[in-house]
Amino acid sequence: MTSYLDKKDIHLSKNFFKKGYFIQKVSDLKSLKTLRKAVVNSLCETIKVKMKKEKDFDRFLNDIHNTIKIKNLNNTRLNILNSINSSSEFHQKYFEVAKNLLFSLVGNELAMQTRVNLSIQLPGDASSLLPVHSDIWSGDSPFEVVVWIPLVNCYSTKTMYILKPENYKKIHSKFKKYAGKNSSDFYKNIKKNVEWINIKFGEILIFNQSLPHGNIVNSEKETRWSLNCRFKSLYSPYGDKKIGEFFKPITIRAASRIGMNYSLPNLKK
Amino acid sequence: MGERVPQHIQNQIIRKFCETNRLEYSLSASEYAMKNSYLMLEEIINEKSSMNGIVFYSLFQLPENKIYRNNIYKNIIKRKKKIFFSVENFKLSSKNDILELEEIWDVKSVLPSCYKGY
Ligand SMILES: [Fe+2]
Repeated sequence: MTSYLDKKDIHLSKNFFKKGYFIQKVSDLKSLKTLRKAVVNSLCETIKVKMKKEKDFDRFLNDIHNTIKIKNLNNTRLNILNSINSSSEFHQKYFEVAKNLLFSLVGNELAMQTRVNLSIQLPGDASSLLPVHSDIWSGDSPFEVVVWIPLVNCYSTKTMYILKPENYKKIHSKFKKYAGKNSSDFYKNIKKNVEWINIKFGEILIFNQSLPHGNIVNSEKETRWSLNCRFKSLYSPYGDKKIGEFFKPITIRAASRIGMNYSLPNLKK
Repeated sequence: MGERVPQHIQNQIIRKFCETNRLEYSLSASEYAMKNSYLMLEEIINEKSSMNGIVFYSLFQLPENKIYRNNIYKNIIKRKKKIFFSVENFKLSSKNDILELEEIWDVKSVLPSCYKGY
C-alpha cells in the first residue's frame, strides 16, 4: 500500500483507529476562548444576569445548576444555540480550533455541520441523557467525525463514554442477540468496556461516531458544558444528512472549483 | 433534483419557516408537473405585486441548469425581492448569498460521480 502521509498524520491515524478518538491540546487558544465567551455571553443574556469576567467563566459555567432550574434548561439551551448558530464567525472559529486534526484525519476539502450543538448536563438531571447509540444507526454517514469541545473540565460521570473499537468489533459479530432488546440492555452489556473521556477545557476531542457512545446522569457536583459538531470529507458518501440541509462546504479548493465548473467545448451547431 | 416530498408536507414546512422567520405567508403556488417546468416560478418572479419574496421548500427545486438559475437570481435581486429555502434555512438577498448557494449546487451536482458505497 502506498501512503505518503507524514509521521504526524500516521501517528494520529494509528491512535484514532486504535482508540476511536483523539484528544489534543488546542494550539489556537484565542479561538477557543472566543467560543466559550460567545456561549457565556448568550447565557447571561438569556438568564438576564450581568456578563461575567473571563476569569470567572469556569466557575460560572460549572455552577450554573445553582441558577438554572431543570425545567428551564431546554429553553436556555435553545436560546444559546440560536445565538451561536446565527454567527458565521462562531462556526469559523470552531473549525479553526480543530483544523489541524481534521486535515490529518479527514481531509482538506471539508463539509461542516450547519448547526453546532450544545450539551448542558446539570448534576442529577436525567432529562438530557443520550442513551448508548452509534450515530450511523440514526442516519449519519460513517465518513463523518465529531469534534467535541468541552467548555469546562469533563471527567467521571460529567463526561461521555465511548466503546473501544476492539470491543465494538466483538459485539458487532454477535449483534443478533440484541434483537427485541432495548438500549439499556445493550448498555448493561458494554458498560464494563466503555472508556470515559477525561478532558479539560483547552483540549478538544475528535471521535469516531460509528462507535457506540453516550452519557449517564451526571453525579458530580458540577455542570457539564460541551459543544459538538460533525465534519466530513466533502465528496465522501452522505447518509440521511445531506449537503445544503445539514452540511455546508467550508474548504473547497481551486482544482475542485475548476472541475465543477468545467464543460467540454460544444462542437454542435 | 430527484427530491420528492408530498406537497402538503412541503406546505407545512414552508408555513412553519414563515412563522419562525416572521414572514407573512400570502400565496401558495405549485409548479406544473412537466419536467423542467418553471412557468409558475417565472410568473411569480415577474409579477409586479407587493409580494417581496418567495419561500421555496428546498433550494434543489431551482432549475438544474446553472445559467437559468443565475438568471433567476439576477432577476430576483434586480426586483429587490428575496428568496428563502426552508429545508436549508437559507436566505438569498445578495450576490454573496448566490456564491454560497452555488457552492452547494456545485458539490451536489458532482456527488453522483463520487464514491457512494458503505
Ligand atoms: Fe452521538
